[in-house]
Amino acid sequence: MAISNDAQQATRYVGTIVGESTSREFRLAVAHETIREQDIIAVDAELRQPESNAPPEKIRVWAKVQHIERLNPLFPAEAGHELAATRTDPFDTVLSLSREMVTAVCQVLGAEPLAGRSGGKLDHLRYPPQPASSAYRPDSKDIARVVLGELQQKQKRALDIATLSNRPGVDVKVDGHAIVKRHLAILAMTGAGKSWTARRIIEQLAQKNYPIVIFDPHGDYTGLADVPSLKDQVQRYYAQFPVFEQEPESVITVVEALAWQLADTQRSMFNDLFKGAKAFVSGTPEELKERTQWLSHHLGNETILRYGLRPNLFFLADFVTAVVKAGKSKDQEALAKIVEWSGRENLRVTRQVANWLEGLTSRLRAAAGTLYRMERINQKIARSAQPLPTDRTELVCYGQISIVALAGYTGDFQATIYSIIADDIFEARVRDELKLPVLLLLEEAHNFAPARASMPAEQRAITTTRQIAQEGRKFGVGLILISQRPSRLDETTLSQCNSYIIMRMVNPADQTYVRRVVETLAEDEARMLPDLDVGEAILSGQLINFPVLVKMKEPESKGEREERDAFEVLEEVRASIANETRR
Amino acid sequence: MNHRTSGDRRLTEEGVHDDLQRQPHLLMKLAENALTVAESLRDNYFKNTARFVTALRRAMHAAGQGKRSDPILTAHGIENADWSAVQGEVVTFIDGGVGRVQISSQVPILLRVGSYCVRTGERRLAERERFGYYPVILGDLEGGSKERKDFPDIVRITAELLGGLSVLDRTPDLCVLMFHGPLVYLMGGYAGHTPFTERDTDLFLRHYAPDPDLGRQLKEGFLREARLDIYPQMTDRSDEWIKRRVFEPLAWIAYLYRRLIREARRRKPTPIIAGVVERGELRWFSEKVLLERVFRGLRAKGNADYFNRMYGRSDLTSPKALLDRLGYTDTLLLAMLLQPGQFSEPWEIEKYEGLRRGAVSLPGEAGTGLVNFAPLKPGKIGFPQVRGCYVHVSETTEPVRVEVFEELGADQIVEAARRTYLYARLLPGYGFPVGLDIADKLAHVPAWLTDAYGKLIRYHLGVSLQRGEISDADMRRILVQAIYMTHRDWLFRPKA
Repeated sequence: MAISNDAQQATRYVGTIVGESTSREFRLAVAHETIREQDIIAVDAELRQPESNAPPEKIRVWAKVQHIERLNPLFPAEAGHELAATRTDPFDTVLSLSREMVTAVCQVLGAEPLAGRSGGKLDHLRYPPQPASSAYRPDSKDIARVVLGELQQKQKRALDIATLSNRPGVDVKVDGHAIVKRHLAILAMTGAGKSWTARRIIEQLAQKNYPIVIFDPHGDYTGLADVPSLKDQVQRYYAQFPVFEQEPESVITVVEALAWQLADTQRSMFNDLFKGAKAFVSGTPEELKERTQWLSHHLGNETILRYGLRPNLFFLADFVTAVVKAGKSKDQEALAKIVEWSGRENLRVTRQVANWLEGLTSRLRAAAGTLYRMERINQKIARSAQPLPTDRTELVCYGQISIVALAGYTGDFQATIYSIIADDIFEARVRDELKLPVLLLLEEAHNFAPARASMPAEQRAITTTRQIAQEGRKFGVGLILISQRPSRLDETTLSQCNSYIIMRMVNPADQTYVRRVVETLAEDEARMLPDLDVGEAILSGQLINFPVLVKMKEPESKGEREERDAFEVLEEVRASIANETRR
Repeated sequence: MNHRTSGDRRLTEEGVHDDLQRQPHLLMKLAENALTVAESLRDNYFKNTARFVTALRRAMHAAGQGKRSDPILTAHGIENADWSAVQGEVVTFIDGGVGRVQISSQVPILLRVGSYCVRTGERRLAERERFGYYPVILGDLEGGSKERKDFPDIVRITAELLGGLSVLDRTPDLCVLMFHGPLVYLMGGYAGHTPFTERDTDLFLRHYAPDPDLGRQLKEGFLREARLDIYPQMTDRSDEWIKRRVFEPLAWIAYLYRRLIREARRRKPTPIIAGVVERGELRWFSEKVLLERVFRGLRAKGNADYFNRMYGRSDLTSPKALLDRLGYTDTLLLAMLLQPGQFSEPWEIEKYEGLRRGAVSLPGEAGTGLVNFAPLKPGKIGFPQVRGCYVHVSETTEPVRVEVFEELGADQIVEAARRTYLYARLLPGYGFPVGLDIADKLAHVPAWLTDAYGKLIRYHLGVSLQRGEISDADMRRILVQAIYMTHRDWLFRPKA
């Protein structure tokens, strides 16, 4: 670090320390408009080592401008009221308007030897800077070094995601290790730039080949596949639910999420019914042909003949209907066929059991219908023909970004799909069956880890997310939680995040919640939240040396929801219709 | 149903009661008076005051309507004064402040004159306002009687006047020059100070004259007049005074006033020069103008015993006796008589009654000689005549007194009253021109500065003591106490 000479310091002078100075905070008398809130400044000082005869050490104290007070002591409030009442322009009067006192309240960030240190690590200041000391604006290079902190020596971990808001020339790099290991929360209101920020981080992590699984409820991340450098790394999955590749319990969860809860008797028979149906639909083409004809005939349903047997919830519903019909009519021949083709002796049901199971068919059909509609929408938004792999751990690959499209599904089904996948991945990591670490990104995280669960699907999602938040670090499973309603997020989960990117936030409940949960967020920074610009963020926590106000860098990818001007789109459509008509 | 208008109600005792209740500062002042007046006057003090004020209001109202030929008090309305009428005016406000240091008691140490100059309507801040402040360390002066309590005042008056002259000199388009306090003080009280030396005057002029030649001209101008006209009329030792080039403070101040007026009269239009006084205890107007007319009227109607009957006394036979017994002052009475946005009829203020013979010692001399200050009464070498009026700014404040130089024309008082009202409307809770409040803040010597001076003084005294430069035992003991004892210390308790 080069020591600045006096002449340089004179040009960079911003103010003088006045009043009481402490090792945590001091006040700076500043000239008009020389400084902005969140600016990073420095003060040179001398510090004698205790019980040492060595000459005092020259140090540089780093500080951040928390807020600026502007006061005209010669302009009494009483006069202001009088001007307002009489609608008089103050310039027309004899009031003094030119003498203002501008004071910047600065938070001490730390100190380092003035003689130089290769890294940017700051020591705690244990003695206040001297009143009447001059504060100055350090070089951009020095600021970048200090913002980077210990990352200076660990550049491989650094993610280049932003610039300082007040010094656009200063790049802000954050600690990727802290993000993937100790969880990150990106909190902001709609339109503040959450997804933009997340995409920038993902692009940076992808350059380091870190495995990422994105749960994408709105198609915000489909554009990642369009980035040339990421083209081979991005895999998009639509969330078609491969019913017969699931465990029976998972299917029950889905049915209950999309229809309504199963009775205990239905639940007790579900394993046999599900496994029986699976065996029924797994045969040679000839066998399947024979079974299709039999089922169509048995149920008097020609549609089955037309479409054949497909391993989905509709088929499961038909199969259960066949069992119920045979049981109720005591059709021993039909029951024998079912037992033979399903391999489940328990399906030779009595009339009573058949009556119990009758209600299951309507649940299965309702769930099948809803699921079908959602799958269609999901597939369209995902722009992918690739269904989710049965083995969830296949989503986690070196250098791969797996995007699980959840758009089109209702919130509880999204939560269900998420918890099934996240559970499988986490379990695989715990059992060491999955060797690679992984980062799970939860867009609209308040749906996957809500503060209060109103449905079983949400409860399961909370449990999963909370477990990953609490224990994921040990097993190499990291989280990025993104939410526009932080106050609806599970507090335990959010408080486990060690890094935060907080953007514009207007809702008072969200501001209060964030202030309470995010310990590293200072009061003055919290007060800035409603006034941040789009793309501006406060970085806080382990990802950065100290909290800073930044402008996020633009990601290369585009989001599905980045809206175009509605009227421009209208005119384009009109033009294309006119072209087609002419043709 | 017969509704009384608010104007009518003002003319009733109930109306006066209502007004008093709306003005707590007046109520407090009357309560204070009620406790200090003679016991026989206490019982109906409020009621009788209300009756008296009601009668005065009615008399004013009747005169205003032409129903009375001998008005007791004329009030003029300025509530329509508007900023649009005073745009582009350059206005300067001047005030002086004294910093006192706690040694063993409060000792005046530093004086500071602040000036605030502003051009109304100017949008460019750099062009709009100018601030100046000029410090004088009282210890640097050789002249003046430092043992007198009013020593800082005589220095302040001189410094403020020089500040005014300086402003007039460096502001060719000056429209209004407004001083905080009386334009001219009751000068008789300041007679008898040891004259300032030429070195003292140079110290003053160093701050006030931007051009050294101007300071020299001012100084030489005074010395020439002093030699020809002033000192010979004041003292038998005029030759010596001239030889030693001393500046007798009152003669020097009177010269500065005349110089200020002369400079102002050269300007077209003539700048308004005014002093504005807050919280004045003066009762001259009540005694010599207002109550004189009241008593005369009562005598004319054969009702001379009116006040004695009202208060159940026999000694309330003159304005002075009435004011002495009842504790009324100009501001108290006029606060009850004038409405906000009105100013009283102007009158000539007698400022120089106390100018008579007095003893004066020259710098460095122990003995005194007799000096006649009477020649400094208004005249060729004397102080200027001053006219004044009271301006009532708001209901919650007492009227302020505005003073102008009579020589500068009859319209000075009206224009000064109008501007005072306009400037003071911006501080309705204070009722004082906001520009003077700003100058007051500039002139104020901050506590940290006087503390710092105090420490320096104590340090130097301590060094002198340690070096044995002060050998007198009593003096040493006094100094030790002065330096080290700010509160009563066990070491310095009186011996049992």
